Amino acid sequence: MELPGPFPVGRYARTLRDELRKRARVQLIGEVTGLRHTAKQSYFELRDGDGAVPCTIWASDLERLALPEGALRDGAEFVAGGGPDYFVGSATSSPAFSFRVTRLRLAGEGDLLARLEALRRQLRAEGLFELQKQLARPLLPRAIGVVTAETGAARRDLLAGLERRGWRGTVVWAFAPVQDRRAAPAIAAAIGDLAAQPRVEAIVVTRGGGSLADLWAFCDETLCRTVAMLRVPVVSAVGHERDSTLIDDVAAVACSTPTHAAEAAVPLDCGAARGALDGAAASLRRAGDGAVAARTPHLVALARGPARALRRERQALNQRTREMRASSQRGFAERLGFQRRIASVVLERARRRAAGAELERRREALRRAEVTLRAHEPERTLERGYALVEGGGGEPLTSRAGAVAAGRVRLRFADGAVGARIEEDDERSGE
Amino acid sequence: MSEAASEGPESYEAAVERLEQIIDRLDSGQAGLRETLDLCREGRELVTYCAAELDAVGASLEELRLDELAAQLAGGPGGE
Repeated sequence: MELPGPFPVGRYARTLRDELRKRARVQLIGEVTGLRHTAKQSYFELRDGDGAVPCTIWASDLERLALPEGALRDGAEFVAGGGPDYFVGSATSSPAFSFRVTRLRLAGEGDLLARLEALRRQLRAEGLFELQKQLARPLLPRAIGVVTAETGAARRDLLAGLERRGWRGTVVWAFAPVQDRRAAPAIAAAIGDLAAQPRVEAIVVTRGGGSLADLWAFCDETLCRTVAMLRVPVVSAVGHERDSTLIDDVAAVACSTPTHAAEAAVPLDCGAARGALDGAAASLRRAGDGAVAARTPHLVALARGPARALRRERQALNQRTREMRASSQRGFAERLGFQRRIASVVLERARRRAAGAELERRREALRRAEVTLRAHEPERTLERGYALVEGGGGEPLTSRAGAVAAGRVRLRFADGAVGARIEEDDERSGE
Repeated sequence: MSEAASEGPESYEAAVERLEQIIDRLDSGQAGLRETLDLCREGRELVTYCAAELDAVGASLEELRLDELAAQLAGGPGGE
């Protein structure tokens, strides 16, 4: 599509100027930079973290405002009232856009607070106040970084705070201007550089008190965003009023004095910790030494226990063995099996008990019991040269009368059995 | 025989926390002989570790400028 025109450029420039001049007149707030004066007017930029506008003011208007001597200077926060304008230029001079200022005053505490509040709301809404507070702060850092002015009480106070902690690690100083317009970028760079040092485990940012305008660098949006995103905890101690600067909001901890900042950067009171550690060591010694001593009487009692138990069991076994011998009417095989079962159950029980107590004495006693038990087994008796007399049904014959009545018997030796006949001749051998 | 003891504590605060648990357990009188002896051994290791950490920041304050530290790490002159 064909565009309208061509129009003469000078006419277009005037139309543009007239349109701009129709725009509402407003007040702007920002930092003055690039200030220069000519005979007719003064030029400067009004700037903040997001952008800038070129400003002009007629010399006559500036004179009428009667600003304090030296107030209008680079780095000062100003409120400028006016509206957009456009210098159309001429055949020989260049055109220029500017914000034509008719009123100009130093930004007051109220103006700064309003800007601060707006910025605070924004950063809070973005969640930037929480990030640093979620970082783990080491209880006992070996090295801390400190951003402060090279001269000033803050440095001395911080060292005094560290001394009070009994902490004598490494302090890495990153000195930076803390007041003028170079301050915020320099502080942000210093904090970033410190955070990049692997040894630095916490960072303190501190300066002494002042007006909000003096502390304005610590409300800088870029600086505060830098702090919020760091992975190293930052302790701020700027000015004396706790919640006046934005860096206090984004930092992990905000303190009112450099001394307190030192204590926040080194949370552990090293002197007290040494005392507590000595106490812990003593507790461990007591527990370790006492553990065996306190248990000795119990151990002695345990050691006696198995001997008594074995004696009881041996008596019971002997009793049963006697009963077995005395009884003659049951099968030898059955009896033998029964006796073995008893022996194995009793032995197993004793073995388990011995294993539980882990006592050598108990094991030794068990070995003795085993030997004793083995001695009572009928096979062992046969091995020693005795023979067992069995009737036709395999039942043991334990009396003369029984043998005579059976007539034919079997003699069981250790290595096997042989048949035999009873010859009834004389009765003298009753005993 | 506990695995934590063989690896060593990851930080001073972790060591102190474990040490407090150990002393609480010993003070309770509920630990058996084997556990007591194990806890005492682990506790002594933790005390040694903590004492070393405290010693590391107990001798004398070292003050460095950031550019000096950066130069040290770069292993050569010039911090700028």
